Amino acid sequence: MTLSILYFGMIAEATGQPLETWTSLDALTVGDLKEDLLKKYPALRDRKFQMAVNQQISDEAFPIPPLAEVALLPPFAGG
Amino acid sequence: MSHTPKKVFVDGPISPQFVADSIAKHQSKTTIGAHNIFLGQIRADEKENGQVTGIEYTAYPEMAESVFHQIREAAFEKYELTCMHIYHSLGVVPTGEISLFVFVSSPHRRATFEALEFIVEEIKAKVPIFGKELIGEKGEFVWKENQ
Repeated sequence: MTLSILYFGMIAEATGQPLETWTSLDALTVGDLKEDLLKKYPALRDRKFQMAVNQQISDEAFPIPPLAEVALLPPFAGG
Repeated sequence: MSHTPKKVFVDGPISPQFVADSIAKHQSKTTIGAHNIFLGQIRADEKENGQVTGIEYTAYPEMAESVFHQIREAAFEKYELTCMHIYHSLGVVPTGEISLFVFVSSPHRRATFEALEFIVEEIKAKVPIFGKELIGEKGEFVWKENQ
C-alpha cells in the first residue's frame, strides 16, 4: 500500500522534509508505521508526537487504510 | 443544526481595528443581548537564550479547519448562541499583538461566559497549530507547547 506522510513543526525538523510517499507491501497499523518511522528517523525517538490518519487522531492499534494521509503532529501550540 | 465552515486563519497579527469592526457588524442583530470576547496576546517570556520576540505559527490547515468546525458545532449544540467567530493567526505575530480572537454572542450573558471558555480550551487542546517562539535577534527559537 501507498501512503502520504506529512510532518509538521519540530517533527519536520527531525525528518528533514515536510512530506513523503511511503510504500509498504504489508498492511500497517499506526503502531507498525510508527515503528518503521522511528527506525528511519532515530531523531524522532526523543520527540513527542501524535499520529492522525485522514485527519483523525488515531491510536496505535488503528489499521491504516490504503492511500491514507498520515500526519505526525507535535504538541499543539494554538492560542 | 449545521453551520457553514468559516475561514479561521489570518495572515499575521489580528488588529484591534478588526476586532472593533467585528463588534460593529453585530449592531444590527438586535436579538443579541451579550457579547463576550477572548483575545490571545503574545507574551515576551524570558527563555534561557533571551527574550521571546514573537511566535511563528504554522498548522496542518485542512485538519485544523475541520477541527475548528467541530468545535463550532459542539459549542452551538451546548450553548444558546446567536453567533460565533474564531480567528487565529498564521505566520509571525510579534509580542504584544493578538494571535487568537474568539467572539461569541447570545441573548443572555451566562451562555457567552461558558461558551467562550469551552471554545478557547478546545482550541488549545485539539487544533493542530504549531508555534515557534522566536528569541533574540539571531534567529534562535524554541517550540511552544500548550499546557
